[in-house]
Amino acid sequence: MLKKVIYLFVAVSIITGCRSGERRADLSIPDSVLNQGPEMAEDVMQDVVQNISSPVEMAALIKELGVEYSNRYLSSTDRVDDLSASFQQALNLGIYTADLGYLNMYNKTSAVVDYLTAIKTLADNIKVGQFFDFTTLKRLATNNQNLDSLMYISVHSFNEMDEYLHSNNRTNLSALIVSGVWVEGLYLGTQVYKTTPDELLAERIGEQKLTLDQLILILENYSTDRQYRTLADELIKLQEIYNGITIRTEYGAPEMIEENGMLTIVQNEKSIVEITPDQLNQIAKTTEEVRNRLINL
Amino acid sequence: MIRKILYSVIVTFIITAFTAISAQDISQLTAQCAANAGDVMYLEDFVVKLDQGTPGGAAPTQRFAMLLSKNIVYRFSICSAPNSEGEAVLQLYDMNNLIGSTFIPSTGKDYPSFDFKCQKTGVYHIFISFKDGKAGEGVGIMSYVKKL
Repeated sequence: MLKKVIYLFVAVSIITGCRSGERRADLSIPDSVLNQGPEMAEDVMQDVVQNISSPVEMAALIKELGVEYSNRYLSSTDRVDDLSASFQQALNLGIYTADLGYLNMYNKTSAVVDYLTAIKTLADNIKVGQFFDFTTLKRLATNNQNLDSLMYISVHSFNEMDEYLHSNNRTNLSALIVSGVWVEGLYLGTQVYKTTPDELLAERIGEQKLTLDQLILILENYSTDRQYRTLADELIKLQEIYNGITIRTEYGAPEMIEENGMLTIVQNEKSIVEITPDQLNQIAKTTEEVRNRLINL
Repeated sequence: MIRKILYSVIVTFIITAFTAISAQDISQLTAQCAANAGDVMYLEDFVVKLDQGTPGGAAPTQRFAMLLSKNIVYRFSICSAPNSEGEAVLQLYDMNNLIGSTFIPSTGKDYPSFDFKCQKTGVYHIFISFKDGKAGEGVGIMSYVKKL
């Protein structure tokens, strides 16, 4: 009798354990064992990478500027099945994630399904597909309803995936995904700027100097790998232009305002980007070249 | 011997089951907290679980580094888990300067969120702790409100 009870508990424990592990990669060997850590300490890497590039912030700004949607900015999903190496898969996962953010922003739900499918395929290939509830995402996109939920689940899934990669010493893949998001976001911003020049957008493009420096720092950490070296070198071409851009700060104390029970903090310290039209043109041209080379790596 | 094995199996079962429920609860808390942030766009969440601090010591805190952009209004919201002993507080720092907080000690007022009109692109730090250094579990949410 006692043995039966033990067997029962063991069986239930295994089943419960499997359920709680549904969102983990289905590898028998932990990722942390498979992947050796980088030279830079993992917690330092996490600090550097976090929120280095949001898949929706550039798209949100473009939409708020009143710029019309255009599908010519997007990277084609036709190539997904040709991407066989994890390096290409992670990089393009980032590129498609940025495109998905743009599509979500403009409620282009029919195209969203294509990009979700591409993201799911690439995420599965690098063993992080469990973070994308594809059925729910596809249902929300197909029904063209509850678009806030679609946006929330898309971004939240991306964040969870990124966190998982960090916690399993796979920051190298996270760096590639983030690089893809960033390059595609900058490509989107610069392409829009060419047709719709705007001061706010110009400043946002110039501010990318801060992110670019961080991104190169991270990628160089893995540059003993030829592909990472190539990617870092591509971004260094952009950095050479960005080196001529100045970002200065005007100091001021923040103000706290309470209105109708809502607290607002107004920052009076300002960053000012000094960027010329020629630098903007050079960044747009080089970004386009770099982005097109990356999607064909 | 068999009893010892039985006890250890039961304990393992309880811990495993409890952990699974807790992860689900946090996921629901995050979704709920993001929804309560209002008509804004979710960008990032910060899940925190901290032990109680030592008497007389500083309250345990978890830190997150975030890149914020100029001319954007961000909303920072905080939610404590229903079973959390302590009440979560979110603070925003620029370098070593406190810029905003969901709890203002001088007035004793708590806010579920605050908006930050960002004028300087750069790395900021978000600190989450629990009042009086108590143990607790909660989540902070960063959302995009609009451009300035």
